[in-house]
Amino acid sequence: MKTLYIKNILLVATVLVTASCKKYLEVIPNNALPTESAITDAGTARAAIIGAYDRVQGYYASSYPTLGTITTDNVVFNGTLSEYLQLDQNAVPTDNVITVSAYQSIYRAINSANSVIAYVPAVQDAQLTTVEKNKILSEAYFIRALGYFDLARGWGGVQLQLKPTTDLTVLKGIKRSTLDQTYDQVLADLIQAEQLLPEDATTRNRAQKSAARALRARLHLYRKQWADAENYATQVISNTKYSLVKPYKSFFTAPFQTAESVLELAYSVNDRNTYWNLWYPSSAGGQYTLKPSDALVTKLNNPSIGGTRNTLVAGTGSSVYGVLYNTTATGTDPSYLIRIAELYLIRAEARAQQNKLVEATADLNAVRSRADAGATTAVGQGPLLQAIEDENGVEFAFEAHRWFDLVRTERAGAVLGLNNRNYWLFPIPYSDVLSDPDVTQNPGY
Amino acid sequence: MKHLYIKGVLALLWVLVTQVAIAQPGSQPTIKSKLIGTVVDANNKQPIAGAVVKIKGTTHAVSTDADGKFSFVTGQSFPYTLVVSFIGYIQQELRVDGSPVEIPLKENISQLNDVVITGYTTQERKYVASAITSISGDVIKDQPVAGFNQLLQGKVTGVQVLASNGTPGGGITFRIRGNNSINASVDPLYIIDGVFVSNADPIQTGLGNQQGSNPLADINPNDIESIQILKDANATAIYGSLGANGVVIVTTKRGKRNTAARISLNTYQGWSTAINKFKVATGPETAILTNESRVNTVKDNPNLPAPTLIANAEGQPTYDRFADLFRTARTQNYELATQGGTERSNYYIGLGYLNQDAVIRPSGYTRYTARLNYDTYLTNKLKVGTSINLSRSRRNLSGSDNSPTGVINSALFPRSYLPIYNADGTYARYGSFDNHIALIENLDNDAVGWRTIGNIYGEYTIIPGLKLRSSWSLDNGSEYENNYSNTLISAGISSLGSAASYENKNLVLTNEQVLNYIKTFGNGKHNINALVGNTINTVLTQNTSATGTGFAANSLKSVAVAATRSGSSSRAESKLLSFFSKVSYTYDNKYTIDGSIRADGSSKFGVNKQWGYFPSGGFAWRAGQEEFIKKLNIFDELKLRASIGLSGNQNGIGSYAAQGQWSSGANYLEQPGTAPSQLANPDLTWETTRQVDFGAEFGFLKNRLNIVIDYYNKYTYDLLLNVPVPYRSGFASYLQNYGAVRNKGVEFAVNSTNVQSVNFKWTTNFNISYNNNKIEKLASDIALGASGRNISILRQGFAVNSFQLYKQLYVDPQTGNAVYDDVNKDGQITSADRQIVGNALPKFTGGFTNNLSYKNVDLSFFFYFQQGNKIMNMNDFFMVHGGLQANIGFLPRQLERWQKPGDQTDIPRLTADSRNPAVNGGAANNYGGNVANLSSRYLEDGSFIRLKTFSLGYNLPASLLQKIKISKIRLYAQATNLLTFTRYGGLDPEVSSQSSNQNTAGYDWATIPQPKTFQIGANVTF
Repeated sequence: MKTLYIKNILLVATVLVTASCKKYLEVIPNNALPTESAITDAGTARAAIIGAYDRVQGYYASSYPTLGTITTDNVVFNGTLSEYLQLDQNAVPTDNVITVSAYQSIYRAINSANSVIAYVPAVQDAQLTTVEKNKILSEAYFIRALGYFDLARGWGGVQLQLKPTTDLTVLKGIKRSTLDQTYDQVLADLIQAEQLLPEDATTRNRAQKSAARALRARLHLYRKQWADAENYATQVISNTKYSLVKPYKSFFTAPFQTAESVLELAYSVNDRNTYWNLWYPSSAGGQYTLKPSDALVTKLNNPSIGGTRNTLVAGTGSSVYGVLYNTTATGTDPSYLIRIAELYLIRAEARAQQNKLVEATADLNAVRSRADAGATTAVGQGPLLQAIEDENGVEFAFEAHRWFDLVRTERAGAVLGLNNRNYWLFPIPYSDVLSDPDVTQNPGY
Repeated sequence: MKHLYIKGVLALLWVLVTQVAIAQPGSQPTIKSKLIGTVVDANNKQPIAGAVVKIKGTTHAVSTDADGKFSFVTGQSFPYTLVVSFIGYIQQELRVDGSPVEIPLKENISQLNDVVITGYTTQERKYVASAITSISGDVIKDQPVAGFNQLLQGKVTGVQVLASNGTPGGGITFRIRGNNSINASVDPLYIIDGVFVSNADPIQTGLGNQQGSNPLADINPNDIESIQILKDANATAIYGSLGANGVVIVTTKRGKRNTAARISLNTYQGWSTAINKFKVATGPETAILTNESRVNTVKDNPNLPAPTLIANAEGQPTYDRFADLFRTARTQNYELATQGGTERSNYYIGLGYLNQDAVIRPSGYTRYTARLNYDTYLTNKLKVGTSINLSRSRRNLSGSDNSPTGVINSALFPRSYLPIYNADGTYARYGSFDNHIALIENLDNDAVGWRTIGNIYGEYTIIPGLKLRSSWSLDNGSEYENNYSNTLISAGISSLGSAASYENKNLVLTNEQVLNYIKTFGNGKHNINALVGNTINTVLTQNTSATGTGFAANSLKSVAVAATRSGSSSRAESKLLSFFSKVSYTYDNKYTIDGSIRADGSSKFGVNKQWGYFPSGGFAWRAGQEEFIKKLNIFDELKLRASIGLSGNQNGIGSYAAQGQWSSGANYLEQPGTAPSQLANPDLTWETTRQVDFGAEFGFLKNRLNIVIDYYNKYTYDLLLNVPVPYRSGFASYLQNYGAVRNKGVEFAVNSTNVQSVNFKWTTNFNISYNNNKIEKLASDIALGASGRNISILRQGFAVNSFQLYKQLYVDPQTGNAVYDDVNKDGQITSADRQIVGNALPKFTGGFTNNLSYKNVDLSFFFYFQQGNKIMNMNDFFMVHGGLQANIGFLPRQLERWQKPGDQTDIPRLTADSRNPAVNGGAANNYGGNVANLSSRYLEDGSFIRLKTFSLGYNLPASLLQKIKISKIRLYAQATNLLTFTRYGGLDPEVSSQSSNQNTAGYDWATIPQPKTFQIGANVTF
C-alpha cells in the first residue's frame, strides 16, 4: 500500500518534472516570426511584400550598379579592395565578392517574392481586400521578373526557382535553363504583373503598371524584339506621369522621386544607402574605390557630348569623383532602376533597328536636348545606333547600364578590348559550384 | 585552563549571537603538557600561517597564526608525535619531547600529491584517472598582461594560447587540444569559483574582424590561487554539453581559518615599446618603383598611351608616419589584498588597479577590480559562503586598424613621398585613407564594462563524508560603448559628425545542487567519491544601440543632439538543463576506476532532439605502489591512466538556431517588412566529441623529477555546421549536424628540481605539445576570410585554418614573370588552381621555465615556442603590389623585384598589365589578373621562440624587516618579450588579426605588435 503510494507520487513528480523541463527549454525570439506563421493575415502579407522590396534594395543599392559600371570604360578602380580591382580588370574569379553578393541577393529577393506568390492567395483576412491582395501579388510577380531579368543579363540562363524554399528538397533537380527560357519566365511574370498592378499619378518607389511595361520594353530590347520594345516604350512615354526633367541633375537631387523616375527604390535615414561612400574621396568621408575614368570625364565636360551631364562629376585634377550618389550626410540616394530617359533610348534603338530613323533621331534628341547637348549629328542607321550606344554610356554613366548594353549588343570586345566572350558573363559563385550538383559553371571559369 | 575557558566563552557567545550553532558538549581534559612552537618554511625560514598541527592518534589539532606560531595545552604527556600539514608542503611527522619547537616544512615540489579540483568535487592527485594540469597562481602573477588565460601560454601541455595582437586587454586564442569544431565554439568552459563564466566578447565597435576584447581580463590574475585545466573526456564529460573544448577551473584566494589578518601590497610600473616597428620604402624608392611599373605596363601593352612618370623620382621627399604612431607605453599596477580567518570563518578581500597603454596610439586599457571571498560555518554542519568579483574596465578602442580609415592603415599604406599635411596645414588624405594624426588626435571610441561574477553557496554535511551543496551563481556583464567621429576624421566628415552608442548586457544564471559522498573504509583500502547533481542555466544577451549623425559642433557628442537618429536592439535567450552523476572508486591506493554520466537538455536544439547523454569512464593504475616496481628502486611514482568518454557542444550557435524564421527589420518606405532568414531544422542536436586518452606519470629521485606524458585522440562528429546551400534557395547556409573533425596529439611535461640546498634552489619546467588537426568529413569546401578574398578554407582531409592560395613556383629569371603551379594542368591559371599551401595551426607548442634562487635573490626566465604554423602577411599582400595600387606605397620587400634577365628573386617584375589573366607566366598574373596577388609568396613561416619573461628579484633580509614590522618585501625587475627568434618577415609572429572568426586564424594585417615591456615592482606583506 505504502509502496504504491510512493510509486504514485514518483509518477506524478516525474510527469511534472518532465513537463516543466520541456516548458523550461522553450524559448521564443522577439525579433523574428516562425516560418509557419510568416504570412497569415493582412499585416504579415503587407510585411512580406515590403520585405521583398527590401531584398531588391539588397542588390540594387551597391553591388548591381557596380557590376554595370566599373566593368566598363566609364569607371576605374581607385581603392584597396581587390574585388573591385578584379571587376575593373575584367578578371573575375568565381568567388568575387561583388558578383557573389549580387547573385545571392537576387535569389533572396526571388525567394521572398516566391513566398508571397505562394502564401498570400490563401490568406483569409477581412482587412485584406481582393484589390490589395492582387496588388501585393502583382508586385511579387514584378520583383520576381526583375530578379530573373537581372540574373539573365549578368549570368545567362539560370536555375528557375519558382517555389519558396521551405526545406532543401524543393531545390532538387532544377538545372540551369537557357537564356531564352529565363527571359520567357520574366515575360510570363511581367504579363501577370501588368494585369494586376495598380497605376496612379505619383507612385515611383513601388512597382506600378508602367514599371512593368518599362521593364517589358527593356526585355524586348534585350531579346531584339524591336517592335514590342517600341510599343511598350511608347506606352510608358505617353503616360503624362513621366517627363524628362530639367536640369539633368534634378533627378538625383534630394528629395528625388521626380517625374524622371519610372521606378526608383527610396531610402531614408533609417534605411540608408551608403553607395556614395564608394564614390567620394576620403577627404569627403568616402572610400573613393570607384572613380570616373579620365575618358568619361573628358566626355562629360565636352558640351556637345555631356552637356549638363557634367554635373555627374565634381572635383578637379586627379581628384575628380562621381556625384550621382551624393547624400553623404543622410544616405538617402535612391537606387535608379528605370528612368524615362531609358525608355526614350530604348525606343530610339528599337526604331533605328527597324529603320525608322527620323523617329529614332527624335527620341535620341529628346534625351540630348534635356542635357543641353544639342542635336545629334549622326546620320544613317549605323552611326545612329552608335550614337545611341554612346548616349547610353553618358546618360547612365554611373547606373547599371553600360556593361549590360555592351554585352547585349556584343560590343564589349570592340569597346572594352575584352575579346574573350566567356568573360561577358559573370561566373556562377564558387560556393554554388561546390554545393549544388545541379548547377554548371559558365564556360571559361 | 584559562585560555580554554575564554575560548569556550567566546564559542558560547558565538552560539548565542548566531543562534544557529549547535553547542558541542565537551569534557574538559586533564592537562599534562603545554607546547608552543613555530612552523616555518624549511627553505627561507619564513613562518607559515595556517598550517595544521595535530597530535598523532588524537583529534586535537590547531593551526598556526600569522607568525607561524601554535600552542597546545593537552592531556597528552611528552613525548608524542605531531603531524604538521599545509597545502603545498610535504606533511611532516615530528616526535616532540619538550617545548618550544621549530618545525620546518618542506615545500612540495612534486605536484603529484596535492589535491586537484575535478568536476564538482576534489580528488587527491594520486588517484586521479584524468588528464588534469594544475597551475599555481604564483606562475601568473605580476605579469604585464590583463587576462590570466593569456598567461597560461607555454605553461600547460595541450593548451595553445596566442595573443591576437598587442592591444592591452585584447582578444586571444585559447585552445585545449586543438580546434574541435567549425561553427560551434572552440573556446573552453571557464569556471571561476563555481561560476560558469561567459567568454563572449561584448565589444560592438567594429575592429576589422579582430576580437575586441578578452572577457576574462575582467579577473585580476593576482586574485587567483590556482588553475586546473581539465583536458580529457573523463574529466570534462561531467560538464557534458559544455565540456567538449576542455574546462578551465579557476580557484581564487581564500583566507584560512584561525589566521591573523595578513595584508599584502603589490605594485609594478612598466614601460613598453613595440618589439618591432613598421618600415616602408622611402619616397624616392616608391617613386622609382612606380615609374618602373608604369613603363613596364606600357611595354606589356603597347596600345596604351605613353606612361606618365613621376618627375624627379630620386628627389622625392620621405615623410615618416611611424614616429607619431608608436610610443613608449606606460603600465601601472597596484593591488591591495588582505586575508585571514577566525575560528569559524575566513575571508579574502582584494582590490586592484591596472592601467595599460598600447604601444601604438591611441589604444589603452584601465581595469579596477574588487573581490570578496568569504566562508563561514553557521553550525558544525552547515557552511555558507560567497565569492564575488566586481570589475570595471575601460577601453580606449582604435576602431578598424586594418580598414583604410583605421590608425595603422592610415599611417602604413599612404605613399611615403606624400606629405602628412596639406600646404594650408590641414590633414592630408589620399585615396581611401584617412590621416593617421587626425585619427590619433580625434578618435573617440570609449568602452566601459561592468562585470559582476559571484556566487553564494550553502554546504550541509549530512553525515561525515556526505555533503549537499547548493550554489547560485551569476555572471552579469554590461558593456557601454560610446563612439564619436567628429568632422576632423574621415568617418565624420560627410555626416557632420557621427555618434554611436551601444549597450550590451550579458547575463548568465546558474543554479546547481550536488550531493557528494567521499568515504574511505577498510583500513584505507577502499576510497569512494560519488556525486549526483543537477544544474539549471540561463544565458540572456541583450543589445541596444543608437546612432546619430549631424552635429552642430565637434564638442557635442551625444546621440540625443544629432540631427538624425536611429536605434536598434536585439535579444537572445538560451537555457540548459542538466543532470549528472559521477563515481570514483580506488582500491588499495593502486587502482582507480571512474565513471560519469550527464544528461543535457538545450533550448537551442530541435524539438525532436533536445537531450544529449554524455558518459565517460577512466582507469588509473598506480604501478609504483606494486611491490615489484618498488623493488626496482627507480620510481617514486608510476601511474598509468586510460580514459574514454563523450562530451557535447552547443556553444557558439544562435539561440534559435533550430527554428525556421522570418526576420523582421526588412523595412522599406518606413513600413515594417519581414523576409525569410533561416531554414528550420527540427533535428538539430548536439555536436559530440569522443575522446580517448592514455597517460603516464613518473616520479624519480625522491620525486624531484616528474614526467607526465599523455596521448589523446579526439573525434568530434555531428558537427554543428553551417553547410553551404545553393544560393538559389534564397539562403546561404543551413545549420545541420554534419561533418567531423579529429584532433590527436601527444603532450610531454617535465618538472625538475635540479638543485635544492639551503641557499640555492633551481627548478626547471619544460613542456611540449603536439597536435594534429584534420577535417574528416565536410559537405563541401567552405572558403572564407580576408574580407571576401577566401584565403582561409575548410576542406575535408585538411586541417582547419588552412590557407588556399596560388602557389608561386618561381619567378622566371628570363621574363621576370611569376609562374604558378597549374594544379589541373589545363595550361591556364584559373580559380581551380588555388590550392592549400599551409595552415595557421602550430604543430608544436611549449614552454621552458627556470626558477633559480640563491639566498634572498631569485631569478627566473621563461621561453615560449611554437613551430609549424603559417602566417598570411596581408601587409605584404597590399604593399608588394607591383604598381597596381595607385594610392598605396610599398614595403621594402618590393625592392627585391625582378629587374633584368638573370635576376633570381621571388618578387616578380613590376607591372599593372591585365591582359590575358589566364596565361601562366604572363605579366598579368604577376600581381593582378586571376591570381589577384593571392600568391603563396605572402605566406610565411610563423614559428618562433620568444623569451617571454626574464625577472630578477630580491627579498629584503628578515633582520631588517623585523625592525620595520613588515614580514616580507620583495623588489624585482622584469622584462617581457625581450627576445624573439623567428624567420617571419612581418612585425610580430604572435598575431591573429582576423580572430573574431575562429576559422580565419593566422593573418597579420595592420595589427598592433606585442609590447616589449620593462617593469619594476614590489611585493610587500604586512
